[in-house]
Amino acid sequence: MKYSIVILLLTVLNLGLSAQEKFTLSGYITDARNGESLIGAKVVVPSISQGAVTNNYGFFSLTIPQGVYQVEFRATGLDTKKVEINLDKDVRFDIELGTEMQELQEVEVSAKKGENVNSTKIGQIELDIDQIKTLPAFMGEVDVVKTIQLLPGVSSVSEGGQGFYVRGGGPDQNLVLLDEAVVYNAAHLFGFFSVFNADAVKSVNLIKGGMPANFGGRMSSVLEVNMNEGNNKKFKIKGGIGAISSRLTVEGPLKKDRGSFIISGRRTYIDIIMKAAIPDTSPFAGSGYMFYDLNLKANYKLTEKDKIFVSGYYGKDIFSFGSREDDFSVKMPWGNGIGAVRWNHLFNSKLFMNTSATFSDYQFSFGSEQDQFRFELLSGIRDIGGKVDFSYFPNTRHKVKWGANYTYHTFIPTSVSAESDSVEFNTGVAQKLYSHESAIYLMDEFDLNEKLRINAGLRYSTYMHVGPFIRYIKGDISKPDTSITYNRGDVIKFYQGLEPRISMRYVLSKSSSLKAGYSYNYQYVHLTSLSAVSLPTDIWYPSTDIAKPQKGWQASIGYFKNLMDDKFETSVEVYYKGMNNLIEFKEGAIPGDNVNDNTDNLLVFGKGWSYGAEFFFKKSYGKLTGWVGYTWSNTERVFEELNNGNPFPAKYDRRHDLSIVAGYKLNARWTFGASFIYATGNTLTLPASWYVQDQNLLFNYGPRNSTRMAPYHRLDLSATLYDKPYKKRKNDEGEKVLVKKRFRSNWSFSIYNVYNRANPFFLYVDNDGDFLQGDFKITVKQVTLFPVIPSVTWNFEF
Amino acid sequence: MLLFLNSCTKEVQIDIPGYEELLVVDGSIETGRKPLVVLSNTADVYSPTNIQAYLNSFVEGAVITVSDGSTTINLEQVYTDELSPADAKEVSQILGYPEVLIANLHMAVYYPVSSSMVGEVGKTYSLTIQLNGKTYTSSTAILQPTPLLNTYWKPDAGYTDRGFTWATLADPANSYDAYKWEVKRLNGASSDEFFMKPFNPYVDDDFFDGLTFDFAYENPMTCNGDYLPEDMRCYFALGDTAVIKFSKVDRYVYEYMEKKYTQIYSAGNPFSTPTNIPTNIVGGAVGVWAGFSPAYDTVICVE
Repeated sequence: MKYSIVILLLTVLNLGLSAQEKFTLSGYITDARNGESLIGAKVVVPSISQGAVTNNYGFFSLTIPQGVYQVEFRATGLDTKKVEINLDKDVRFDIELGTEMQELQEVEVSAKKGENVNSTKIGQIELDIDQIKTLPAFMGEVDVVKTIQLLPGVSSVSEGGQGFYVRGGGPDQNLVLLDEAVVYNAAHLFGFFSVFNADAVKSVNLIKGGMPANFGGRMSSVLEVNMNEGNNKKFKIKGGIGAISSRLTVEGPLKKDRGSFIISGRRTYIDIIMKAAIPDTSPFAGSGYMFYDLNLKANYKLTEKDKIFVSGYYGKDIFSFGSREDDFSVKMPWGNGIGAVRWNHLFNSKLFMNTSATFSDYQFSFGSEQDQFRFELLSGIRDIGGKVDFSYFPNTRHKVKWGANYTYHTFIPTSVSAESDSVEFNTGVAQKLYSHESAIYLMDEFDLNEKLRINAGLRYSTYMHVGPFIRYIKGDISKPDTSITYNRGDVIKFYQGLEPRISMRYVLSKSSSLKAGYSYNYQYVHLTSLSAVSLPTDIWYPSTDIAKPQKGWQASIGYFKNLMDDKFETSVEVYYKGMNNLIEFKEGAIPGDNVNDNTDNLLVFGKGWSYGAEFFFKKSYGKLTGWVGYTWSNTERVFEELNNGNPFPAKYDRRHDLSIVAGYKLNARWTFGASFIYATGNTLTLPASWYVQDQNLLFNYGPRNSTRMAPYHRLDLSATLYDKPYKKRKNDEGEKVLVKKRFRSNWSFSIYNVYNRANPFFLYVDNDGDFLQGDFKITVKQVTLFPVIPSVTWNFEF
Repeated sequence: MLLFLNSCTKEVQIDIPGYEELLVVDGSIETGRKPLVVLSNTADVYSPTNIQAYLNSFVEGAVITVSDGSTTINLEQVYTDELSPADAKEVSQILGYPEVLIANLHMAVYYPVSSSMVGEVGKTYSLTIQLNGKTYTSSTAILQPTPLLNTYWKPDAGYTDRGFTWATLADPANSYDAYKWEVKRLNGASSDEFFMKPFNPYVDDDFFDGLTFDFAYENPMTCNGDYLPEDMRCYFALGDTAVIKFSKVDRYVYEYMEKKYTQIYSAGNPFSTPTNIPTNIVGGAVGVWAGFSPAYDTVICVE
């Protein structure tokens, strides 16, 4: 039996059983301009219709029969290179595409040409960071997350918000990775700006369905953001001066062609503007807001087979408010610290390994002082983890990946302290929760025949909540409150689960295919939110004996069709998603102190489902590029203890969601961008009735999320003016020649909300006047956040 | 912050489903005072809000009894414009409306005109309301009061002539305690007619069980006083005499009041969660039946 399994495996993987001898062509593809590894570049052998694609580190491996081949190396925006290679043994071939002088081409050559139809990727979208930079930007801040929100199946939490919902999943169900380290709060300024500084970002990849087995820990999506590696050819400085912030990036070689670094920083000046606007004598002196962030990355090629990467991010937001009159002040800082060390090792031409050690820390605190009273609240999460991933390329029909990962989580949901002069109030013991999360996986992408390609994987994940911990058990009138104390290392609860993943592509014709995917996911962390908008005050909470892991599955099927020689890519996908063990706060619950209580005692658990259809039409190259995306969807939740147990729409349930994005390159100097969004209004809970008690006007709320706000729609426009790339100079012979300028700059103009639509941010019931005076009035009011906002940013590099 | 300052607001008409007419109970009993209950109905958000609609919202025809465990009395339905001067004075104090005002309103309240039962410390009072074939019940306790250890006035930083009232509380250890703070000024002819509650009048000892500490409260009478310059508001002036009414309430009354004030201060705030106020009335009504156990202190505002 055992032997038959081995033989079967060898047969399936076609390991050396073929009659003709095969050899492997492998190597790294990099960009000649800066030495950056090229992700998703293609290696094609047209004579035998075989090819390979580079991974996130620019590595490829292609095993084909012995022979002499014309091999093409393609990357988006760079000239294709054709090389004759004699494959009579395993060949290592590293190649640079483009030239150091080459400007990015108008995207006529796309490495991704045909991929829409050919790959097994369903529900996956890669974004071109250069294209993102030409799209309209809110207040001039180029923002990858806002661009993500323009894709079908993705919606924003609220106007300007960074939180995003993918196919009806909550904002905590998105695995946001920066160089493989988890980002817990990807937002600055209460969510209006992303933590990802576009100057430091190399690639953005969103997986909203058919999640491969190498990703896990979240139910809905993966947003993979990779940082630039830094120019390993020459030193460069680039930056931008904008309406509310400025940024500066320095990059250069550590050793030419072997290693490089990049440092990118950004800071807002809202606090400085406010300081100037609010005089020292003002009662609000000391109020302000600022954020800054810093991205660092370095890489070094130790040997031909070993490369090491170190990346880090640190960002902080500080909000402060002071009222001199009331002797009252508030300070609210929050921020992320993220670090990753990665080591790539090539065992041989077919086996690639990446090992990572990651660190992620998110801290939020709120402190207030009034007279002699002081109050402080802390909340945070810290992850320390490691992972190892192997990629094995046995032949052109198979791509096998396996790996393992482990994370040690430390959660502080809330820690409160309060004191009055010298008296310290008892706010309970700060809750700290410790847990171990780990997973192993195996996946194989293989061609069953010329038409059917399958990506099948299995992930096994485990989770352990360990002590020290005090579990408070709330009593009632018949029994008193009790508690259980767990010591360090005690296992409080263990969870485990198998997560099967499969996606497949069936080629219908040269330009069309049918794809389907199924994934089952476990999620061991939860985000608890009290408010209708995503805020830094939302609390991350791990699975415990009470809060069970979220579990979900998603099935999708899609038809993909390219038109006019891949000029246009279209797709229609339908999906259904089921979610269990979702959490919400109990009705009226407010997490406060930790006196004899755990946060999860305030939670209720329920389930949800979402289904929808997504239509996508994209033009990837030419003077005019862009896409039209439309989503029809329905998202509901049901909690036994909420809304009398009746199903209710999720707050971001949107029947219709349309986005139109366009970029037009008029000439070498002018590029224009436009985006238009139309979406069904969000839901919310408003008072259905009012009453009076002890002279106070009070409200009784209607069914949860039963009111729907007016539809949201908005048009943004942008224009970018590049300087002339060449200047005239006299050569040695005295002739005027064009010389490429070292210092380059561009002006980026944006108009947000061009036709000044008053979009609803939220609604509330307002009252005015006095009953007994006869002028009492109750009205429903809508708050709109952003009117038309023009902005201008000046960008430079040299 | 700048963004929020720039935000704009407009009135909209939007469908709010889920209106259901519910009985509202607003009843109380405190040490030395007769019980009083006002019944009304909840009103649709878009229903008329003129004074006639307000008066029409009061519910008549209910049969209400209050029992202290040994004696049960009826609360009679009376109209405020038909009360005897003594009863009008009492009802005006409980409701917090001037006597002149209630004498001009034909407002139905339930009040034991012919009974002498008043609230006593240590007793639990149960309430029964029968209306249109339905029965609503509740109970509340008048607990042992916890008098303040000390009360005083202190000028606020930077001033000598205005400040807050301060108190020292020794919270009993190992018991659940919840308090209400009210105040009125006795300044001769310009004395306040009623006790008034400050911004956040209710607190429980979740944070300070068994601790002794000082705390301060503002002067609620002048906080909304547009007639005063801004830097005079919410202060007690040097020379004021203030009477502090510091009442004990039971857990269920506190839970109602806590959520009530949360709702009042968070209504319209997008960062808060819509909060329905829990009730201690059984039978499908909203509102509260509250027992108060006050202790009084007088503060003369001098250093």
